[in-house]
Amino acid sequence: MELTINGEGYSFELEDNGMPLLWVLRDILDLTGTKYSCGIGQCGACTVHVDGLTARSCITSASSLEGKKITTIEGAHSIVILSALQENWVAIDVPQCGYCQSGQLMSAAALLSKNPSPSEKEIRDGMRGNLCRCGTYTRILEAIKKTAEDLSS
Amino acid sequence: MKRRHFFKVSALGSGSLLVSTFIPLACNSEEQETIYWDPNFFIRIDSNNLVTFICSKAELGQGTSTGLAMIMADELGADFDKIKVEFADGSKEKYGRLHLQDTGGSNGIRMVWNPLREAIAITREILIEAASKKLALPTASLYTSLGYVRSSENDQKIAFGDLITVASTLPAPLEVKLKDPEQFQYIGKPIPGKLTKNASKGTVPYSINIKLPNMVYATIERCPVWEGSLVSYDDSAARQIPGVIEIFEIEPIEEQDDDYKGGVRAGVAVVATNTWAAIKGKEALEIVWDLGPNAKYSSMDVHDGLTSYRDNNRTVAVNLKNAESLLNKSDQKLTVRYDSPRQAHTCMEPLNAVAYHYGYKVEVWAGTQSPSMTRERIAELTGLQETEIVVNNHPTGGGFGRKFTCDYIEEAVIVSEKVRKPVKLMWTREDTIKTSKYHPYSSDFWEASLDDKGYPIAIGYQGFTGGPSAFRPFPYGLPMAYRSRLRYINGWLVPRASWRSVMAHPWALGLESFMDELAHEAQIDPLEFRLNLLKKAEVVKQKRDPWVGADLYPAKLVGTLEEVADRSGWFTNSAEDVFQGCSSISYNTSYCSMVVHLKRGKNRLYLSKIFATIDCGTVINPSKVKSQVEGSIVWGLSALLTPSITVKNGQVEQSNFNDYPLLRISETPDIEVEIIQSDDVPTGSGEPGVPGVAPAVLNALFMATGKRVRKIPINLKAF
Repeated sequence: MELTINGEGYSFELEDNGMPLLWVLRDILDLTGTKYSCGIGQCGACTVHVDGLTARSCITSASSLEGKKITTIEGAHSIVILSALQENWVAIDVPQCGYCQSGQLMSAAALLSKNPSPSEKEIRDGMRGNLCRCGTYTRILEAIKKTAEDLSS
Repeated sequence: MKRRHFFKVSALGSGSLLVSTFIPLACNSEEQETIYWDPNFFIRIDSNNLVTFICSKAELGQGTSTGLAMIMADELGADFDKIKVEFADGSKEKYGRLHLQDTGGSNGIRMVWNPLREAIAITREILIEAASKKLALPTASLYTSLGYVRSSENDQKIAFGDLITVASTLPAPLEVKLKDPEQFQYIGKPIPGKLTKNASKGTVPYSINIKLPNMVYATIERCPVWEGSLVSYDDSAARQIPGVIEIFEIEPIEEQDDDYKGGVRAGVAVVATNTWAAIKGKEALEIVWDLGPNAKYSSMDVHDGLTSYRDNNRTVAVNLKNAESLLNKSDQKLTVRYDSPRQAHTCMEPLNAVAYHYGYKVEVWAGTQSPSMTRERIAELTGLQETEIVVNNHPTGGGFGRKFTCDYIEEAVIVSEKVRKPVKLMWTREDTIKTSKYHPYSSDFWEASLDDKGYPIAIGYQGFTGGPSAFRPFPYGLPMAYRSRLRYINGWLVPRASWRSVMAHPWALGLESFMDELAHEAQIDPLEFRLNLLKKAEVVKQKRDPWVGADLYPAKLVGTLEEVADRSGWFTNSAEDVFQGCSSISYNTSYCSMVVHLKRGKNRLYLSKIFATIDCGTVINPSKVKSQVEGSIVWGLSALLTPSITVKNGQVEQSNFNDYPLLRISETPDIEVEIIQSDDVPTGSGEPGVPGVAPAVLNALFMATGKRVRKIPINLKAF
């Protein structure tokens, strides 16, 4: 199987072609920034981009993604919106345990690329697929607002 | 790279914490050897000037490792941006069993603050003494800053790393002076810290990311009813799953007297070459269980059992200020019951651990709140000496009390013992909801006798709290009777684990709702009612172990209540569509008051804003403290507004985030937290914000609807 992840080609063999992208990333390719948390697409911790759109890697089989452009948190540095979000994530001290934050950032980046100046309600609605048990929501909101401002100026 | 080793230990001073060690980390003939000095169990200084803070407490996202590293950097005079943070492995020899290591009760900073500062102040004085010898300057003219000992008279300076050879030969001073708070460079500043940076890149080294050579991956299908047992299993389909290596029975380790401890359920383990195969293999197992005695009971049985237990056990166990007779004196009485449900922790990083049982020694890698108790437990489990067991602690994706209990680590050790390889034991999300350990179901009964104006004379309480404690104090100064502790009549049904704020949660639901009810009975504004009582109340003495806090000062509650009342406009709000509720909580020597604004929209009631004020003594890092209170409020709202854990015929009915949802960002109100400035000893911030959330919201709900709700969770849309 061949996948393109963060602009790089990966070639590998799988015993089970039904393996979700999440476990290919984590167990086979050692790209552990993408996280397992629910396995049923309910929490958003495993969010990646496929051709620029968000996908839940825990319920997306890797074999369905050949020929597509996959981006994970490890590829953030080459994406302007993601890097800008990461800067504000640090400045506003968003993460607590940090475990859900890769997924939060990937969702936030997709949101801002679709809608560069979202209203507060649009941010809340756009981010509702990503759970955070530590309760960092108010800071996520603030950091996305700030990033939208930074990128528009 | 060739390694040469030599080892030298020299005792410094009389304290057992003072041992210096030289080990070349890695070297070859061309490179200069890197040596290090570790004068105590909190710090290591390398000859290349790297200062490593060894964090004895666990990092679960509560920011303790950042806070402690800031304290260390300030006391030493190190450059915070250049220090490295490492986590100590489990060791009660070094840190004591609970106090400096095992992490719970919001006391990470409170317990370590003093010992850490003293140990680091000694280190600083030794470095100054060493510099004095090297520079031939008097110690009085030297000070430390940003990783150097510097002269106050000229621009001479010398890096810490260049002092360690001399420093390691010097005795520790008999007395040291801790730094004056005015000299702090970092304490009090909102510093994000290294974990925040790593989390924003997805590079925090959680145990779930570990991959060791020859490591295999395991899951366990556990008996869905606690204390049930395995009858038989058919693994023929599971063995067909590509990647599945081995399948075997896991025997329950013990009939547990104390369900808070470790303990492993009956189960069947699937070992595979990757996590996905281990999960698929587990799903393909066909298992016949003997569900055991707990399968006879459901949630309602527990509720009804508490009712009947109370009916037959009403004796007063603790009678403060003659409360019992005052309760019986008046004809006017108010007696109510509050119910709060089972909760699961659902840490975003599901339970997992890597273990390697070599046969004669064990090494584990896990995120645990209790590294030293885990080590003790694995010794018990394996029969090995604690000296043969290494528990490496990793920062972890949420703990909330669940990772204080080490059952998931025990399981990894058991599987590794069978396969004699490193094993990563993974819980699925379903495992963490269906077969975990839980915050228990609670019923709390509150009663009061009232005078002819409806004002309370005495309070009675019966629930799971046996008497006054720093975790569940009664701060209002009224005569108070604690009736005998309630018991489950048919056992716990599902095992328990500490859950963020633990039994303070049901306690506060009762206490702070009941105070509100009493205020309304007396026709006094509920916030003013609290202030009036607290201003007259005396200090509540705390005589137990320091783990559970120090004395309670009602005046500090007054401070937080007055601040939050002012900021939220409690006494001045005139908007007709805003309904206010308040609460005031002391938890393990921290104080937190909050005001909730519930608003009537077009078709529904919704939470528009929550204001909170915390007093946790000296604030090490205001960003982290505020984060903790913000997170606590979201935690409390999840417990109040989303479905809880229910049990039917011994089995938990929920399984994943589809039927056990958490609060989402779209449901979260605005939250505004302020901190009371204080020079007192720093206390915790991880839990004090939790217990007051439910009562404050319910008190606002009463204002909005006239309905007094005493059972959670609730569905706001139903009002």
